[in-house]
Amino acid sequence: MTSTILISCRELCDAESVSETYIIEAIEHGIIRPLEGTQGNDWVFTITEVSWFKKAIRLQKDLELDWVAVALVLELLQNKQSLEQENQLLRQRLERFHSEN
Amino acid sequence: MEFKDYYAALGVKPEADLKEIKNAYRKLARKYHPDVNAEPGVAEKFKDVAEAYRVLKDPEKRAEYDELRRYGGKRTAGEGFQAPPGRQSQGQENEGDFSDFFNSIFGNAGRGSARSGSAQEHGFAFRGQDIEIELPIFLEDTLEAKEKPIQYRIPSYENMQVSYINKSLKVTIPAGVGEGERIRLRGQGAPGQGSAPAGDLYLHVRLVPHPLFDVEGHNLIITVPIAPWEAALGSKIMVPTLDGKINLSIKPDSQSGQRLRVKERGLRSKTGRGDLYAVLKVVMPEKSTDQTNALWKQLAEKTSFNPRQKWGEVK
Repeated sequence: MTSTILISCRELCDAESVSETYIIEAIEHGIIRPLEGTQGNDWVFTITEVSWFKKAIRLQKDLELDWVAVALVLELLQNKQSLEQENQLLRQRLERFHSEN
Repeated sequence: MEFKDYYAALGVKPEADLKEIKNAYRKLARKYHPDVNAEPGVAEKFKDVAEAYRVLKDPEKRAEYDELRRYGGKRTAGEGFQAPPGRQSQGQENEGDFSDFFNSIFGNAGRGSARSGSAQEHGFAFRGQDIEIELPIFLEDTLEAKEKPIQYRIPSYENMQVSYINKSLKVTIPAGVGEGERIRLRGQGAPGQGSAPAGDLYLHVRLVPHPLFDVEGHNLIITVPIAPWEAALGSKIMVPTLDGKINLSIKPDSQSGQRLRVKERGLRSKTGRGDLYAVLKVVMPEKSTDQTNALWKQLAEKTSFNPRQKWGEVK
């Protein structure tokens, strides 16, 4: 079974049942960034980016938010995640320094 | 099946108007949305709230529900709820993941109920759900593309009941995957209904904590315990890396906490390899003998070293 880490704009539209216009709006609000390409036909996204986009779609629908609010929530969630990761790393390293060996 | 009190789920009175219902939903949705709250059990709670809102915000559905609530919903305790005949699965709801109670009232078209026949016959077509599972990976396994067996469950809908089927796959994980990255397996999610395609499987990469190495981007960090004399005189030390041991030179007069860079012995990245950082940690012997004490004493007398010199400068 081969796995993929990239997805085209067309495939993303099909998978999420959204239009290209919807994706353009999301790009304009910085919610999803294409890895490569300059327009719809040749845009390529990483699957990691897409998983945040899926989150954005759910938040927009379930919390009845506009794009600006979704972008803000997403940014805060991403910041929170990276701080949590950093915190975990620092704790782990501190522990290694304090433990016996 | 249990009769669901949608008003209680939203914490509103049965006479609440649309605005109150909306406000109650928004408040609860912010609190329980699984994308903002990762606590266990929250996803279930959100499902209940979302289902209640879906019914109560729609005047037609709310009227239908209120009617049932007046007649059917009264004999809840012990007996359970049974949708009146002729009411089952009339509707064409198809989005989302709803309870059996919801489906018995508003239908579950597209998932092929016993009454409505198969999805194919009715021409319904819905793409299967995407599924996301966590994929723990050892650091050692990220250096080269590796085949990994994975097991997961996919939902299957029949006669308005959901059951789960175990699936297993062998997946080639590309080299250089990192913490939090996602990998997509096309068409390996839940099966589609009718002629629609299956959903996808998303693997969420989680790097398994290593007993020796910490991960910082593409770099690795290893804490290297050294004896005080190794720090003072310098030494050559065997240090493990993810792929084999190396000889690390410790310079004379090294300090605890000092970072030494070993080029390209970190994790694989898109462009090459990260570095390994060896962090020195000076460790004292657990027990001293008369002989070593005599040597420490000699050292103390012969050096003018004051590790707390900076304290003297603080006023």
